[in-house]
Amino acid sequence: MGQEQILFYFFGASVLISALCVVLMRNLVRSIFLFFVTLFCLAALYLFALADFIALSQVVIYAGGVLVLMLFAFMLSSRELLNSIKPAVSGFKVNHLAGILTSILFLFILFRVIIKTNFNQLMWIQKSIPITSNENTAHQIGIHIMTAYLLPFEILSIFLLMVLIGAAHLARKGGKE
Amino acid sequence: MTFYLTYVLVATALFAFTALFTLFAVYSERKISAFIQDRLGPMEVGKYGMLQAFADILKMLQKEFIIPKASDKILFILAPIVIFVSVYLGFAALPWAPGIIPSSLNLGLFYIFAILSIETLGILMAGWGSNNKYALLGSMRSVAQMISYEIPAGVALISAVMISQSLNLQEISIKQGLLSTDVIYFLGIWEIKSVGGFLAWNIFQAPHLILAYIIYFIASLAECNRAPFDIPEAESELVGGFHVEYSGLRFAFIFLAEYSMMFLVGIIGVVLFLGGWNTPLPNIGSAKLATWTNGIAWGIFWILSKTLLVVAVQIWIRWSLPRLRVDQLMSFCWKVLTPLAFFCMLLSGLWRLGVMQ
Repeated sequence: MGQEQILFYFFGASVLISALCVVLMRNLVRSIFLFFVTLFCLAALYLFALADFIALSQVVIYAGGVLVLMLFAFMLSSRELLNSIKPAVSGFKVNHLAGILTSILFLFILFRVIIKTNFNQLMWIQKSIPITSNENTAHQIGIHIMTAYLLPFEILSIFLLMVLIGAAHLARKGGKE
Repeated sequence: MTFYLTYVLVATALFAFTALFTLFAVYSERKISAFIQDRLGPMEVGKYGMLQAFADILKMLQKEFIIPKASDKILFILAPIVIFVSVYLGFAALPWAPGIIPSSLNLGLFYIFAILSIETLGILMAGWGSNNKYALLGSMRSVAQMISYEIPAGVALISAVMISQSLNLQEISIKQGLLSTDVIYFLGIWEIKSVGGFLAWNIFQAPHLILAYIIYFIASLAECNRAPFDIPEAESELVGGFHVEYSGLRFAFIFLAEYSMMFLVGIIGVVLFLGGWNTPLPNIGSAKLATWTNGIAWGIFWILSKTLLVVAVQIWIRWSLPRLRVDQLMSFCWKVLTPLAFFCMLLSGLWRLGVMQ
């Protein structure tokens, strides 16, 4: 096994284990800090797909932005309140049944799709141009955004502007009237 | 195998550098503050108190690790490590001289920016883990401030990147001196490809970048929680901010991170605006000052002296300006710096299209 493979399995395992811990942990704040491990190792996995720009964006946006916002929400509430959140009755309940059934079915569908697909026959994989590891991906992303994907990009930026204006409007202190 | 050995050696050298720099910076900070306040500063340990920083470190090493009883122990212990490592990782993509860069990434600047945003998480960890009201308040203030000031800093950096057309810090440095393959114009009119020197720096290639550099410099002060933006640490109201509960080596690591951060933001500003490792001396006629002072040793000398000068200015500002209030801090960021930074970005685009064809 090459060093890349060892690293890949290491990061893959870290993603899975930390994600499981995030769900299972009782201490909410700790589980959010563990969520950082999940997101960071996910960024490392993006690197294996030669998507370095996406990996760094993941670190900036999720680890540096979204997680910090989530933590802010927790820190504005009191510690006793956080400790008092506990499931009312432990053990198996009837309403767990639907959840378990849905997740098993979804897992089954995912497995079937992955096994049935012949990846070499897919059109978008055959058409794609292979890239090397020292290619300047930011350059190519820029060119593609400004040519082939200009309209979606502009629509997204207008949408984000709308969100910003909306957030600023909501955050304003009550009107003077 | 030797391949891996160089990796380890480079990483160790960078760590040793941050530690040495911190010792040096602590001493110079004390001496400069003493000079500004008309005192003598440390005078007892060694000649002119030169060994004071070593004595401080010795004191830190001997101190007991105190973990508050009600703290979240895992987070409390991990926080200083997260804070330091995030800053230390940023050193991986810094160019030191022509051809000397630990990791020449195509996205070098973006990488440093991304990895530094993890520091906020470490600060929140410290604040929450300490289970102390002052620490929590300090960390919340620190994070609010860092997130806000990342925006003007980032936009000011982007306006420099637009002039250089690259995120690779080594390429950005090359484009500001004699080694450039493009034609360079001083202020967009005077062709100075063979003259070099300070005339080829980004701030003189496109003069509006002087404004961008000032914006970046102010925002970088806020990002390392330095005065006049030190409300997270405000000794007089918050006792010491997010690191009140830390003692001994753990506190030393937080301190190390703070001073390494000062160096890091200083060197990023130097690379993007002040010519990186390029010499400030231009070629004048037959006196080829720029050609003579170019090379690996000179490169390291120039970039270090420029960055240390910037750090000295940071220290000078800390000891001459009073602390800002929270609302002043935020309105300054959002109402003054951010619009100005966007204006610089607009000017960069126009400059690129109109002047630097």
